[in-house]
Amino acid sequence: MSRQSNRTSDSKKMNSELFTLTYGALVTQLCKDYENDEEVNKQLDKMGYNIGVRLIEDFLARSSVGRCHDFRETADVIAKVAFKMYLGVTPSVTNWSPAGDEFSLILESNPLVDFVELPDNHNNLVYSSLLCGVLRGSLEMVQMAVDVRFAQDTLRGDNVTEIRMKFIKRIEENLPAGDE
Amino acid sequence: MTVHNLYIFDRNGTCLHYGEWNRKKQAGISKDEEFKLMYGMSFSIRSFVSKMSPLDMKDGFMTFQTSRYKLHYYETPTGLKIIMNTDLGVPNSRDILHQIYSTLYVEYIVKNPLCALGDTLQSELFNSRLDSFVRALPFFSARAA
Amino acid sequence: MAIFSVYVVNKAGGLIYQYDNHVPRTEVEKTFSFPLDLVLKIHDEKVVVSFGQRDGIRVGHAVLSINGVDVNGKNTSEGKEILEYLKDPANYPVSIKFGRARLSSNEKLMLASMFHSLFAIGSQLSPEVGSSGIEMLETDAFKLHCFQTLTGIKFIVLADPRQTGIDALLRKIYEIYSDFALKNPFYSLEMPIRCELFDQNLKGSLEVAEKAATFGPVS
Repeated sequence: MSRQSNRTSDSKKMNSELFTLTYGALVTQLCKDYENDEEVNKQLDKMGYNIGVRLIEDFLARSSVGRCHDFRETADVIAKVAFKMYLGVTPSVTNWSPAGDEFSLILESNPLVDFVELPDNHNNLVYSSLLCGVLRGSLEMVQMAVDVRFAQDTLRGDNVTEIRMKFIKRIEENLPAGDE
Repeated sequence: MTVHNLYIFDRNGTCLHYGEWNRKKQAGISKDEEFKLMYGMSFSIRSFVSKMSPLDMKDGFMTFQTSRYKLHYYETPTGLKIIMNTDLGVPNSRDILHQIYSTLYVEYIVKNPLCALGDTLQSELFNSRLDSFVRALPFFSARAA
Repeated sequence: MAIFSVYVVNKAGGLIYQYDNHVPRTEVEKTFSFPLDLVLKIHDEKVVVSFGQRDGIRVGHAVLSINGVDVNGKNTSEGKEILEYLKDPANYPVSIKFGRARLSSNEKLMLASMFHSLFAIGSQLSPEVGSSGIEMLETDAFKLHCFQTLTGIKFIVLADPRQTGIDALLRKIYEIYSDFALKNPFYSLEMPIRCELFDQNLKGSLEVAEKAATFGPVS
């Protein structure tokens, strides 16, 4: 099987501008379909979630990362391995809450927004909220319920892009009902 | 040496795929009940092992063997479970089960947007790839296939 | 090399003998300030770590003592709920000892009968005819070996995965059982084994097995 042999080698190359433009087209189309920014954010998040629940399997198959037993470990893996693997950037992990259940990912650059200027009539649009959904979906698959939101966004004039992640709970695995 | 059968379960206990090669004996119950029993057993063994272990475990339960067969168990952090029964001569095969996950399940099911996750796998491509993967294993012999 | 413990289960699935030969120490005591950066949950009437690990404290470890006083299940020695107690900033700094929870005798009974049914299911689900139940179960931390006699008694040994000579040891334990339990006229069949001589001889053979493995070939 030829797919096996090149499995471990680096991921296929794709022109990043095509990717950025595709995402841009997607967001603008959503803006046309839904007049309300909030609704667009929600749809982006939902799509991201659906990507996340599949992407996590690819991630686990490709990296040798096992199950995380600590949120700090999770943060590190997301920033250093996952972001690097899928977006080619390595955000820094900062602003830990005292209880260690909340942190921020600071992105110096966000590949999704390379050519974007947010028009005035889209004040509430969280352009990259797809990322929130991806993170939420993939962590949910590894039994972590998290809350993900954009705290700062360069599109809104902030200096950096900050994604805030809060650990909510472990999702316990149970025997399905009706099983012996 | 040979492979008898292989089960893939999702995190909810749904049997996503079942494949059979050299199986001499059926369990005497319907396939559906057999899947439930197999999943229930693996679930109980995991909980048994985690209570019983005198030390902290990393991977936890890996294999068990009886007088006639050996069961190999692999679970991903997302809760996908792959169970393969072989004869006793087969060495521990975690890496092989991991390969089934990473080169077959992820490639042909997860990345196929038309495959619904959490349902019995309908993909012909996956089924035939898995079949040839198992048949190509060094310890697969076609003595009764 | 180490042999962790021995269980003897009668044909009805009842535990009739149990001995812990070697219990590895996995305990960590640490002082915490508020808020506690570990996620705890109640599991089997104990407070265990469900997420977060540092300094040797691992997921699955239970709260064993608070400020040097042993806890009582999910309550502190004074009968307060531990989870509530640890939510109150006034109780900090607090020193908590975590470790793998010791099995209570009730839990051991439960686990023995659980294995008894797993053994049977293992045989039922066999793809080959004429299979026994589970004879050996392997994890990365230990191996469980089970020998069932024709009369249906199960001898179970938990040992380090690298420990050798377990099959011979299981047969030896069977011999000791028939010598010092069965042949003792005051021992009633299927009932818990409380025989001094059985104990002594069992301990002796465990020692021999552990030593033999140390000098024997490492497999």
